[in-house]
Amino acid sequence: MSQHRLGARPGEVIDRDQPVEFKWNGKTVRGFEGDTIASALAANGVRVFSRSFKYHRPRGILTATYHDPNVIVQVGEDPNVRGAHQRIEAGMDVRSQNTWPSLGFDVKTVNRLVGRFLSPGFYYKTFIRPQSLWPTYAKVLSRFAAGGDVDPNHAPANFDHRYAHVDVLVAGGGPAGMAAAIAAADGGASVMLVEEEHDLGGHLRYGNSQDLEDLRELKTSVMTRPNIEVLTDSVVSGRFDHNWVSVVQRTIGHVEERLIQARVGALVVAAGTLERPYVFEGNDLPGVMLSTAVRRLINLHAVKPGDRAVVMTSNELGDAAITDLESAGVDVTKVLDARQGETVVKVSGGRRVKTVADSSGNTHRADLLVMAAGWTTPTSLLNMAGDRPKYSPEAARYLPLQLPDNVMVTGGMAGSGSTNELVDHGSATGAEAARRTKGEEPQPVPKLRPGIQPELYRSSTHGFVDYSEDVTSKDLISAAREGYDSMELAKRYTTVGMGPVQGKVEAVNAVAIHGEAVDNSLLETATTTWRPPYAPIRLGTLAGRKYEPVRYSAIQDWHEAYGYTPILAGQWVRPDHYGDPAAEVNAVRNGVGIIDVSPLGKIDLRGTDVPRLLEFVYVNKWSRLDVGKVRYGVMCAEDGVIMDDGVTGRLADDHYMMTTTSSGAGSVWNWLDDWLQTGFPSWDVRMTAVTDGWTSINVAGPRSRELVSRLTDIDLHPGSFGYMEVRTGTVAGIPGCFVWRIGFTGELSYEIHSPANHGLELWEALLRAGHDLGVTPFGLEAQRIMRLEKGHFIVGQDTDGLSQAHGFGVDWAIKMDKPDFAGKPELRFQAEHGEYPRLVAIQTLDPEVVPDEACQIISETGGIIGRVTSSRMSPTLGRSIALAQVEHTSAAPGTRINIRLTDGKTVTASVLQQHAHFDPDGSRLRA
Amino acid sequence: MLLIQCPHCGDRNSDEFTFNGEIVPRPDADADPATWRRYLYMKSNGDGWQTERWFHVSGCRRFLRVERNLDTNEIRDVRDYGDPS
Amino acid sequence: MSDVKRPRYSAWKLLTQGFSKKPWPKVWEHHELQSSYDVVIIGGGVHGLATAYYLARNHGITNVAVLEKFYIGSGGSGRNTAIVRSNYLTPEGSRFYDRSVKLYEHLAQDLNFNVMFEQRGHMTLAHSDSSLRTMRWRAEVNKLEGINSEVITPSEIKKLAPFLDITDHPRYPIHGALWHPPGGIIRHDAVVWGYARAAAALGTHIHQDTELTAIDVDSGRVIGVQTSRGPIATRVVINCTAGWASLISAMAGVTLPITTRPLQAAVTEPVKKFLHPVIVSGSLHTYVSQTSRGELVFGASVDPFASYSTRGSLEFTTGLATHVLELMPAISNMRLLRQWAGLCDMTPDFGPIIGPTPADGFYVDVGWGTYGFKAGPVAGESVADMIANGQPGRLIEPFGLDRFEKGTLTAEKGAAAVGH
Repeated sequence: MSQHRLGARPGEVIDRDQPVEFKWNGKTVRGFEGDTIASALAANGVRVFSRSFKYHRPRGILTATYHDPNVIVQVGEDPNVRGAHQRIEAGMDVRSQNTWPSLGFDVKTVNRLVGRFLSPGFYYKTFIRPQSLWPTYAKVLSRFAAGGDVDPNHAPANFDHRYAHVDVLVAGGGPAGMAAAIAAADGGASVMLVEEEHDLGGHLRYGNSQDLEDLRELKTSVMTRPNIEVLTDSVVSGRFDHNWVSVVQRTIGHVEERLIQARVGALVVAAGTLERPYVFEGNDLPGVMLSTAVRRLINLHAVKPGDRAVVMTSNELGDAAITDLESAGVDVTKVLDARQGETVVKVSGGRRVKTVADSSGNTHRADLLVMAAGWTTPTSLLNMAGDRPKYSPEAARYLPLQLPDNVMVTGGMAGSGSTNELVDHGSATGAEAARRTKGEEPQPVPKLRPGIQPELYRSSTHGFVDYSEDVTSKDLISAAREGYDSMELAKRYTTVGMGPVQGKVEAVNAVAIHGEAVDNSLLETATTTWRPPYAPIRLGTLAGRKYEPVRYSAIQDWHEAYGYTPILAGQWVRPDHYGDPAAEVNAVRNGVGIIDVSPLGKIDLRGTDVPRLLEFVYVNKWSRLDVGKVRYGVMCAEDGVIMDDGVTGRLADDHYMMTTTSSGAGSVWNWLDDWLQTGFPSWDVRMTAVTDGWTSINVAGPRSRELVSRLTDIDLHPGSFGYMEVRTGTVAGIPGCFVWRIGFTGELSYEIHSPANHGLELWEALLRAGHDLGVTPFGLEAQRIMRLEKGHFIVGQDTDGLSQAHGFGVDWAIKMDKPDFAGKPELRFQAEHGEYPRLVAIQTLDPEVVPDEACQIISETGGIIGRVTSSRMSPTLGRSIALAQVEHTSAAPGTRINIRLTDGKTVTASVLQQHAHFDPDGSRLRA
Repeated sequence: MLLIQCPHCGDRNSDEFTFNGEIVPRPDADADPATWRRYLYMKSNGDGWQTERWFHVSGCRRFLRVERNLDTNEIRDVRDYGDPS
Repeated sequence: MSDVKRPRYSAWKLLTQGFSKKPWPKVWEHHELQSSYDVVIIGGGVHGLATAYYLARNHGITNVAVLEKFYIGSGGSGRNTAIVRSNYLTPEGSRFYDRSVKLYEHLAQDLNFNVMFEQRGHMTLAHSDSSLRTMRWRAEVNKLEGINSEVITPSEIKKLAPFLDITDHPRYPIHGALWHPPGGIIRHDAVVWGYARAAAALGTHIHQDTELTAIDVDSGRVIGVQTSRGPIATRVVINCTAGWASLISAMAGVTLPITTRPLQAAVTEPVKKFLHPVIVSGSLHTYVSQTSRGELVFGASVDPFASYSTRGSLEFTTGLATHVLELMPAISNMRLLRQWAGLCDMTPDFGPIIGPTPADGFYVDVGWGTYGFKAGPVAGESVADMIANGQPGRLIEPFGLDRFEKGTLTAEKGAAAVGH
């Protein structure tokens, strides 16, 4: 056994039968199961764990808890691991951070020598001139970034989320928290008890034999109650509006970490207190430790923290540390009782404590300085609940002030007392919490005494306030004198409290010392704000399991098997093409093709008032649409901006089917519901969104009639089933299909909608039946080319967030004689104004040049007068074609416009008479 | 995550809803441009209690009137948009 | 040369100060509240302080008070993610922010205060063909305005930011990006302090812990204000606030087209530097940069509902982490350290509102949405010009309050979904 490992301790958490080997900076080290990285290394005589951020000073164990700023290490690919909390595992590769080239010899310690010039905010005062050198300085500064390394090839582990509904959630498993959980459970509440450390017990764990006895009793009582769920090594990281509480569960085995999100009836905060350091010269030397740190090392891990100690105590727990040190064989050479005015003034030594000077002018030889200077209340969860904790000079710390009824506080956070008093308060709080979750009138719980603690913040010397950021008391005072004289300004200027422990160690000291310079009553008037989360959370834990759903049509398997190239269109994965979009276009133009248009939004509308709804949401007229007809419509928002377009057909007397764009399906559905519920609640309209209920296949091309007629009993003769009409019937043996004759591609086409479960069957039937016709599946790209050849605009591509309906070639549809419709007033103003942009079809004079979409159209003087919104090489016309938005003055047919290409060259184009580049009079689709 | 007491579905997380903003009455379609644009764009955006519209999009799909405190996010009344206030 | 009359900051001064026992001179003084000022600026953030600075430096108007309810920089100026760029969609937007970038480039020297502007480049990812089209639109407009901005390919992206996942398996594949080399990050607090120090040196009174309680308007004209420390007579009041713009304008009887929404941000623990440029994904509502201290700073889009609460939410961090890991899966072990929220005043067209109001003498510089910090210098310069010359200049003309009544909204509305 190492000389630093003690004999068996009654409360020890290590299993001496289970040795564990791991690596520390490449060297193999041995500890026991139950050891933390810090305790195992301390047991091996390691005293320096890290180098500080700015001055690269050697640092050792300070708090021996999760929040120890000095024991943050790299474990494998995991940076910034809390070494005083993380337990060792066999084979762990632990390395110190922020050291170069090594922990023992760190070249950046040169910063220590120039420390006097590195006053807070020094970087704001220099590197100003010459400006050209600043990027170089910036690079040097960033070399000093603290923290571990991330690996670009790191493969993320599994993380997990859980949702919980609990009546009472207790944050903190010390005596008060356990008592609260027991009482709440006995009050009939479901309880979740969350403890940050590896076991329940709080400070009792490292206490004396009576403490251990009390702990056993309470723990047994907790464990035998089935309605208490105990989570250890877990932390309540946040409390949000309406008692939405987050818990990070760290040790679970099959997943790395789990985030629990809980809606909580009552939150009982029993997070105890954190011991805070005392500020004096040398207070960061390895060997300067908190009293709770030495008690943890001795009693939990059987590690001897030093050989010869000076103890500065100001409270009972500090006194208890003396007993523990002595029982561990540490020579307590001097006790400084701060209650009697004896304090430490200075600690000296190179890389660890050698001598301690006290306030009486005596110097003591020691390798350990233990300080018990008082407490910090970790009010994080209370701040998040809206509390502004108030300073109690008597207790020398902040105490809760005012909380909402669904948040309560007990234990050390609420005040001070013996174990029995804390347990009684916890019980009363837990019982009251359970009552409140049943909706009973809140009753106050008798308060704990604040406790007595002398106000000890800084000695007559200066030392470190923030260990992670290397901020000293001198820095804080000089910043205040310089004008950064409110706590928030000082915090931002000095970066005190901005490091990995986020003020948990230094918050109160910082306020007190800043107060020395500005206003000694600052502690009383200020409050400390703690922002969520209470403890850092891995991004993986927050994200949880990857869940990014996409939508597929019923024909997806076929598309994949046929070697499609997918494209993400909103949530949908769709075939962009099957190899050659131009060939697909030619196949459609000259024969027949089929495209899966299932993502098309479909809304089933029934009722006697459907025409009124259509009249209102579309700009055009709908009152006279006969059964069997379909009509194209444009939908505008209240500001007159085009929001969607599509066709709607009348299938029966009071049955309509509306289609929307694929991406607009959801918003149009909501839009209709909005008007029906908030505008016209008395109308008889029943609406169902049925996009996924139908597979939609467009059969397009001059031979489409021939193909479809082979599969259906519907009479397709042009005289009985004309353009813009709809029929219902059986297709390919599938009953209940509806077919409408429309054509986005500009060809004769039939859009067949079949029940989705028959979608693939229909697709394959079409392919079989059309084999001799050369039927060709085509994708989105071919469709886009063909619609551009036809000059049809796409909402959101050829239009934008300011595109009011006039000017987009749909003026014929806008019926201003309707009494009202969505967007009417703005469209009226737009028409009166007249100077709105126009969508026009353009062709470059050089037919080979296809200007990229979004290329700008430039006036003679170089100003922007428009942009290309869609462009392609047309396989049908063998030339470049485009749609563009231009100012009204450049919209007349024949106008020559200049387009600036992405390479800076200019190409001239001419405005066409109409939007269509191909078959402008539509003879093909009316065939 | 707020908890919204949907009158149709019971207590639900706010991510089931979309927020539609303060309720502004729609003027007549013949309103002059100034009136119409006040409706479209101007907001009282006060602090304290506000009556606003939420849409239970991932629930009953009803539009609701919600009284919420904009300083604290506290909610004190939720009713169907059509219900008398 | 700067006009700042204070002892100048320099490496030499730092050195001599290091040897001396004397404290650094004060950055700004506390003043008694005067009974009258020529100009009262509401809000001690970057907009208010920059306005005060340019009023004094460019126009010699120094009898100016800046009223700040808390401490300077306590609002949006200290809560943003400190990104500076000018790759906007519209010519008027690009031009305006380009001026801001130019002012930022020289700000350290102008103010004799190192604002630590690092022009590391700003990359906006495109995850779909339509998004790539918008990036190209922005690039083309930017180029015409003389702004360095271009569309780059996935392999170029990988070279600039090796941690980005450019394989085709993610739900949001990276098709390309808008690359804007002059964009970067800055120390936001330093900008606030630098302006405050320089304005104070020129005579501006900065009143912290001073809350505006009323604006006195007589027959449609501003005659003074009431504050928590007493009344001030003045004929010019400029509302330079964010988060409270509507409430303050209402004191002058002015209604604004603004909805206030929280915007949240978060920071991780530091790690060694691995990310140089600023990365933005519009589709994933995420932007991320690594500070010189090694922390990753994240931002997102505004909260899903209006509120004046800045307490923040859990769904912000869970959503953010999901999106960040979609972009950079390798950093799942990095730990989120702190989250916070600021308030953003959102306008219907995502353009700001700068200019006079129906109340004579009451001016607004508000409605900055999520872009306020970037615009601080140019807004201050332009507002100061407007006050001195009596009318809005060319750069801010498109952003008047009357555009909402006229229906001449700015076109940033189209691009708002894709950039920060």
